[in-house]
Amino acid sequence: MPNFDPSQIPLVSIVFWVMTVFTLGGALGVVTSRNLFHAALYLILSFFGVTGYYVLLSAGFLAMVQLMVYAGAIAILILFAIMFSRRPMAHESQANQQWWLSLLLALALFVVLVVVVGAVNWPVSDAAPAADTVTQLGVALLGSYLIPFEVVAVLLSVAMIGAIFLAREKTEAEE
Amino acid sequence: MPIEIPTLNVIALAPQIVVVVTALVVMALDISLTDKRVVGYVSLLGLAAAAVVTFALLGGPAQAIQQMAVSDGYALVLNLVFIVTAALAILVALGYLDERELQHGEYYALLLFSTAGMMLMAAATDLIVVFMGLEIMSVALYILAAFNHRQVGSGEAGMKYFILGAFASAFFLYGVALLYGATGSTNLHAIGEWFSPDRGNLGDPLALVGLGLLLIGFAFKVAAVPFQWWTPDVYHGAPTSVTAFMSVGAKAAGFAALVRILMVSFDQAFTLDWQLVLAVLAVLTMTVGNIAALAQKDVKRMLAYSSVAHAGYILVGVVPATMTGVKGVLFYLMAYAFMNIGAFAVIAVLEHRDAIGTALSDYAGLSTRKPFLALAMAVFMFSLTGIPPFVGFWGKLYVFRAAVEANMSWLAVVGVINSAISAFYYLSVVVQMYMRTPTDETAAAPALRLSGPVVVTLALALVATVVLGLWPTPLVNLTALGIFG
Repeated sequence: MPNFDPSQIPLVSIVFWVMTVFTLGGALGVVTSRNLFHAALYLILSFFGVTGYYVLLSAGFLAMVQLMVYAGAIAILILFAIMFSRRPMAHESQANQQWWLSLLLALALFVVLVVVVGAVNWPVSDAAPAADTVTQLGVALLGSYLIPFEVVAVLLSVAMIGAIFLAREKTEAEE
Repeated sequence: MPIEIPTLNVIALAPQIVVVVTALVVMALDISLTDKRVVGYVSLLGLAAAAVVTFALLGGPAQAIQQMAVSDGYALVLNLVFIVTAALAILVALGYLDERELQHGEYYALLLFSTAGMMLMAAATDLIVVFMGLEIMSVALYILAAFNHRQVGSGEAGMKYFILGAFASAFFLYGVALLYGATGSTNLHAIGEWFSPDRGNLGDPLALVGLGLLLIGFAFKVAAVPFQWWTPDVYHGAPTSVTAFMSVGAKAAGFAALVRILMVSFDQAFTLDWQLVLAVLAVLTMTVGNIAALAQKDVKRMLAYSSVAHAGYILVGVVPATMTGVKGVLFYLMAYAFMNIGAFAVIAVLEHRDAIGTALSDYAGLSTRKPFLALAMAVFMFSLTGIPPFVGFWGKLYVFRAAVEANMSWLAVVGVINSAISAFYYLSVVVQMYMRTPTDETAAAPALRLSGPVVVTLALALVATVVLGLWPTPLVNLTALGIFG
């Protein structure tokens, strides 16, 4: 990031690594935690780490969305769902007998990705960070990305209809 | 920044819009009507309207909307496949849901939304829109699979399909992200442009991994080996009317988007790589599907594995990356819609309320109990095997011919050997129906009731399977229109 004053670079690096510890550590906690409730809390930590990345990338609006929608709304919903389900505090292992097989596959995928990401000559833009991301985002959503933006409405309707149908109590006619 | 109001060529998405509007009308009618079957008939009317719109656009110039979607011959022919699939599935559902007291308006609305998602996948020329279509189709299917969720099997099917489907969507999205990172665009034509030889980007490792992850996502959706594990449980647990719909619809939609992406974006880039990968997938899918189907004692489960095998045959048509192959795939999908939904309609009739009556032994002596039903099932089984003069034979002929033309005769040979293997289990159903006497249990089972809509489904599927088998020219001419615009 050429725009940064050299004296600030260490600070950015420090923030980056702290956020990385949050993101990866949180994610690791989600999959290894035996307590479902703790797993959900770790998830919030991971979401928070990603928020930090967005801030570092000068994507302020995305950072706020990530914080409010993911770390806020979605994580709280998950916590509610866990608390309303029958055995919220059960200390059960999330792994079954085939854990080593999935570990092997996950490792293989990881190695492939690391090798590729390392081998690619990533293009670096020297343009200044966009000043007004909210406006640009809004114009893009109602301009060149209008079709996906409209189509999302259909997707959300489907999800809503489905959720209501599945969660609905039996009506008297069905009893 | 001034906001420019984009001009939208809405005609390009007219068939999809008709289906979505019908779904909304269906939701509104659901509130006011007590007889939900009327809702089903309204859905059929909406699909008929969508078919009319599709035919009106067919043969005309390709209409694009914002570089996001296009209604070219390819998308329109696939629209017809989805409309036929949805219409037959609604007819099956009209009788099936009645008997199980599952007749709800939401069923038809979700089925229509899912159909619109499939049509969007076929028309999409941008990976974002492909993903939107994929999710609309899938979310609706998750709920439909769990539609009888007070029964354990259906709830399990919905849950399993949802978790593995979400997993597949994540792979797909990861692939899209990597492709975007490599090429700087999510537009299929822009990605294809990026790979043009003079740009020197052929064999880019990041794009290659992105494509690989996309393929994993699609392989899940079309139930190709080694991503087929969910298929038997989901197809067996879901209500039979849903299984009929998704075994054809989801497969067709997956192939629709996959073929367009491969042909438009990757026809120059590492063709050899993805052809080899898909050829291996095709061989594995055919072989594993057929061998697993051999061991099944339950007809619904057997057809689930058979559906895996058919994904393999269709892949044979995708591998050559030629227009002959694309037309073969289109022909196969249309043929598969008729014969497979027909077979599931027979299963729906034989299945009792509590999901028994799908065992192979329940078909013993069906020819004496219900001759028409047995005859229809026999025709569908012959057609699925690929025995002339039924439409399934031509489907296989066209995809295998595409492989031979592309100097991949070995792939066609594997396909023919697999068809021979599949004859064992398809014909064992026929043997049960015509050469075994009913067991005491079957004889004591409640009498089979053929409701009006089911008879119509069976008649339509039967006529199409036989007539298009004897005279495939109309369908061949139709698939010839399936070109990319």
